[in-house]
Formats: sequence, structure tokens, C-alpha cells
Amino acid sequence: MNGILNLGYCSLRAWLRERITLFWSLFFPVFLLILLGVIFGGGDGEGYMRFHIGLVNLDRDAEHKAFAGLVEAAFAELAHRAEEYRDQLFILTRPTEGEDAEEFLLAEREALRQGQRAAVVVIPAGFSEEVFRAMHGTPGSLQAEVKVLYGHGDASSELAASIVEQVLTRLERELLIQAELYDPQQEVRVDASWVGTADGAARYIDFLLPGVILMAFLTNGLFGVPGSILYARDQRILRRYWVTPLTVRRYLIGFSLSMLGMCALQLGILWALGRWAFGAQVQLAAPAPVLYLLLSAVTFLALGFLISSVAKTANAGMAIANILNMPLLFLSGIFFPVTGLPVVLQALVYSNPVTYLVDGMRASLGVGTGQVPLWATVTVPLLWIALAAAVAGRRLQWDVDR
Amino acid sequence: MDSLSEVLLSVQGLYKSYGSVRAVRGISFRVQRASVFTILGPNGAGKTTTLEILEGIRAADAGEIELFGHKTRRVTERMKQRMGVLLQDGNFEPYLKVREVLSLFSCFFERALPVDEVLERVALTSKTGALVRTLSGGQRQRLAVGVALINDPELIFLDEPTTGLDPQARRNLWRIFQELQDAGKTVILTTHYMEEAEALSDHVCIMDHGTIIAEGSPEELARGLGQDSIIEFELPHMEAAALAPLREFGSAVEHRNGSVVIHAPKLTEAMSGLLSWARAHGIALTNLAVRQPNLEDVFLSLTGRRLRE
Repeated sequence: MNGILNLGYCSLRAWLRERITLFWSLFFPVFLLILLGVIFGGGDGEGYMRFHIGLVNLDRDAEHKAFAGLVEAAFAELAHRAEEYRDQLFILTRPTEGEDAEEFLLAEREALRQGQRAAVVVIPAGFSEEVFRAMHGTPGSLQAEVKVLYGHGDASSELAASIVEQVLTRLERELLIQAELYDPQQEVRVDASWVGTADGAARYIDFLLPGVILMAFLTNGLFGVPGSILYARDQRILRRYWVTPLTVRRYLIGFSLSMLGMCALQLGILWALGRWAFGAQVQLAAPAPVLYLLLSAVTFLALGFLISSVAKTANAGMAIANILNMPLLFLSGIFFPVTGLPVVLQALVYSNPVTYLVDGMRASLGVGTGQVPLWATVTVPLLWIALAAAVAGRRLQWDVDR
Repeated sequence: MDSLSEVLLSVQGLYKSYGSVRAVRGISFRVQRASVFTILGPNGAGKTTTLEILEGIRAADAGEIELFGHKTRRVTERMKQRMGVLLQDGNFEPYLKVREVLSLFSCFFERALPVDEVLERVALTSKTGALVRTLSGGQRQRLAVGVALINDPELIFLDEPTTGLDPQARRNLWRIFQELQDAGKTVILTTHYMEEAEALSDHVCIMDHGTIIAEGSPEELARGLGQDSIIEFELPHMEAAALAPLREFGSAVEHRNGSVVIHAPKLTEAMSGLLSWARAHGIALTNLAVRQPNLEDVFLSLTGRRLRE
């Protein structure tokens, strides 16, 4: 036991003395957090995530305009309600008194194109009429449509669009209730309707921090494991252990402990920085987030062992890690939501364990929209761990061949 | 059984192949407790493979090992508790400090010496806080010896311990090895340095091409060549035919790598004959030396090759 702990401690000490490790495992994530935090979080004064949304009503139906008004009111209330808080999620832009709606829409489209609007909500002409007819026609056939324009491929825009959609879902339910068509059995469950913490505030730093922490963990697993194990094997450092009573199993436990120690260190530094420098409020110390953090660390450790099993040398291991690093990071939603990708890339997104871990992590912190089912956020990483364990158990070489 | 003649390790019919290369071809030997047992041989003779099997990092293809009184096919962890190993190509984590390396390894054993005592024994007291990567070759090797001694082992393997070291560093290590010998430890040493084998060994076995070709104490082995004296001198350019008259004085005359070696049963006659031959041919007899046969000569006469060729 003493040997295992000392081994873990020594691995960690040795690791922290290496400049290249310090850079990628500690300095780089800290740098990235500061950079993104300052650029995207600091822009609005206090780092709150805000969506500028345009709202235009093209419906001039005087008779039933109450329905279009209902939609307008819902968004207005949304913006207003947020104003009561220190932090405002939506900033709503509407045509001024007497301004031509069509012209306003053109201007808003241009603003959307330039990235000044996250989304533009359009109530089309005849909307109220449609609602009215639907309400008095066949039950359950509400077909009126509100258009949501958003910038395709723009992270904040897509995020805003998904929130707007949820608002509309809620609205739809209200309309159904008004139309007395509401059937409790058909209730569309609306949860996680806010991107933000419990009080409704969405802060970019709260969205970013869990992502950067997972990225730092991923670096340990991808680069740290093959880098340490294959180097130690090729340099006959491991062989020196095998002529003592130390077994591979005990070495493995000690080594994994050093990895988890490194993760704990990164977590502490990034969390402290996020909290004190950027005012992050995410509650990482709750059971569910801690579980996801641990699951992430172990999954990435397993990926590292998987790479170590197929790479012949430390250099080959690093090359494989480099090749995998980019897709694992950028096809996962760590930094921005991944939607609307070609099928091939989507397949990569959905086989990527990081996708599930970051999604589950954010959902547990209340800062994500939950793009994959909750059960998958645990089972998919577990499948990867099982795969890695099976391959490493069979193929990982613990000593150089002659 | 008399403790002086107690056998600590006995090996019977050990075989090991790597693919089509037969590295060790059925060797057998016994190592007495409290002796220095040396396996001497050129590179590729199978010395290291033999040791790696005994150290427990390789499995033999066939053969029987009896170690510490237990018959086994593979060296167990229990046996490793009582063994110390200096690997030929072993390394330590470059970003650990000397003291950290020793205390780390001391944790792997049930019984270990105090780190400070070992540091003193291998003369690294002034380097305790230095990172492994900053050590010189000799210091690194002394650290490796320290690690091999950390569990106060009964049996110590030293695989080519001084290869690549300068003479000063080599002598420092020899001093440590002699202390082990004095302390009654059993040492299994491999080397391709004849002087090292002669200086340290109680028992030598000479290996070549995976087999043991001779065995005995250094004196016994040298005596095996008879009472011949060895005459040696440098002679870079000479037709082999011109050496023919010298065969009269020696049981064997070799001309290799620019020097001539004569095994002379009768030294006086050989010397006077050699001098007249040299005068007749106008030869300077550079670096002329007369000495008793050593292990190098044994190896040469057994294989026709020198140890380091």
C-alpha cells in the first residue's frame, strides 16, 4: 500500500517538474479560461450571457390580433422578468411606434447577419387567424407557426434559438389551454428551459468552466498516459520496477492515482480562477457534478491506456494523441454546441465520449440544454472504459521486447 | 551442509530463443553462497538473457532453476524480496531526485535499509537533492547500485555494471562490489572486461554463442593453459610467413590486431630466440611484455577470438 501511494506521489512530482507537462496540463487550460473568459464573458460588463433578440409582428389582423399579442407579450415578459434580476438573459428589440414592420424586419435580418442579434422572432401575417381557426376547428390540430431566424453555425445564436424554441413550446401549451384543448395526458414536458443557473442567469463563464476542466482532464489522459507509460517502458524505467516485488497491477493503481491527483490539482486551480477572477457560480461540489468529473477523469485515463496499447513507441503514442485530440475536443460541444453537421461528422460527435461527458456535466450543473439522453451520458463513457480495459488487458506491453 | 559450500542458486538446462535466434542453449551452473560468480563473454554471448531469466523479467523456454532452496520455473515475488538487481540498461525517472528514487524503491520491499545508509555506501550523500537527469554516468550507475542494495539483498545481480564508464568511475564501483563480497553477499556478475572478472570473481564461467565453454576459478582457468608464459609485442605490418621461425619457441603464436602473442613453455629459450629473430629482421619489439596467462588468453585460446572484437 505504502509502495502504491509513494509511486503515485513520485509520478505526480516527476510530472510536475516537467515543463512540457506543466504547460499543457496546467498553464494552457488556465490561459484558455482567462482568454475565453475575458473575450466572451467580459464583453457585457459582468460576464453574463445575453441574447439580443429581435421581435417583429407582421400580423395585421385586427380581429384576432390577441393571439399575436400573446406571443409578443410572452417575449416581452421574458425580457422584463429578467430585468428584475441583476442579470438579463434577453434584450428584446421591437419596432418603435409607427415604424414599418417589413422595414424593421429587413434591418433585423441585417443585424442578425452581422452577429448583433442572436435570433429574430417573426410572427407572420395571418398568424392570429390561423390560431383562431385551429382553435375552432379540429381538436389538436394547432398549426400556426412562429418563425425563428437565427445565425446558422453561430454558437450563441444556436443556443438562443434553442431557448426561443422552448419558450414557444411553453407558449403553445398556453394557447392550448386557452383553446380548452389542453389534455394533461399530452403535456409536453418542458424542463431545463433556461440556459443558466437556478436563478435564471446564464453566464458564459459557468458554461465555459466545466468545458475547460474537462479539456484539461482530456489532456492528461490523451498525452499524459502514453507519454509517461510508453516513455518509461522504452527507457527501461518500468523494467527496473519489474525486478522488484512491485507487480503491474500495483504499478497501475499507483500510476492512476497520480493521474487523478493531477486532475484534482487542475480542478482546484481552474475552479478557483473561475470563481475568484470571473465570478463563476456553478456548484461543482454537488454529488452529480463530482460523479461526472470522476467519470471523465477515468474515461480519459482509459483512452490513454487504449492509445498506449496500440502505439509501439512513446513518439507514436503522442502522434496518435495529437490526431485524436482535435476531433475529441471540437466534435464534442465543449466550446460550442454541435448541430447541423454532415452525417459523417455527426457520427463522430455521437461516438465521442467527450460529447456525453460534457453534456451530462453541464446538465448536472444546470448550464446545458441536454442534447443527449441522461442515461447515455453515463453508459457511453462506461462502454469506452470497458473497450479500453479489454484492449489494454490484451495488448499493452509492459516491457520492451528484445 | 557446510555453509561455505551451500548452493544458493542452481540452474539446469536453461534454454531461451528469440525467434530463430537461440540466445541461451541449455546451460547449467551452480552458484555458492557468499561468492562472486562471474559470467564472462563477448557481446551477444547470452549473458544478459541468462540474467534476465534469473531476475524474473523473462521466462525461459526450458530449464530448471533452484533459488533459495526452492525449485521454480519463474522467479517469484517472494524471491525478489531477497534479490537486488543492477540492470544493464535500466533507468530511473529523470525528474525524480536521488533520495526520492531510493525511498520509492525501499517501499516496494518488506525490509529495507535506511536511505541515508545506502546513500553513504554508494557515495551519493552530496547528491541527495539532485534530479536523476543531472547526474553523470558514474553517479547514475552508483544510484543504480544503491537501488540494488536498498533491500539488503542476499543475492545481487550486476549486469555489465561498469560498461561505458571511465576508469575512475569503474574503480569506485569495484570498491563497492568488494565491500559486498566482504559482507558475505552472493554476487552474480556479467562482464566483458577481463580485468573486472579477474579482480572480482571467485568463480568464472566463460560463455560464447549461448553455451558455457569453460568454468572454474580465474587461477584454475589460467592454469588450464599450462605453465606457459605469454610474450606479447606490437607489430603492425608483418607477413605471416615471416613469423614462422617463432613457432619454434611457442606452443601457439598469434598475430592479431597489430600485436603478436606467443605462448612460451620455456621462457628463456623463447626470449633469446625472439631477440635474434628481431635483430635479423630489424624489428623494434615495441611494447614488449612478458606475463602469466590471464582470462583473456583463456578466451582467445578457446575461441580464437578476443573478448572485445
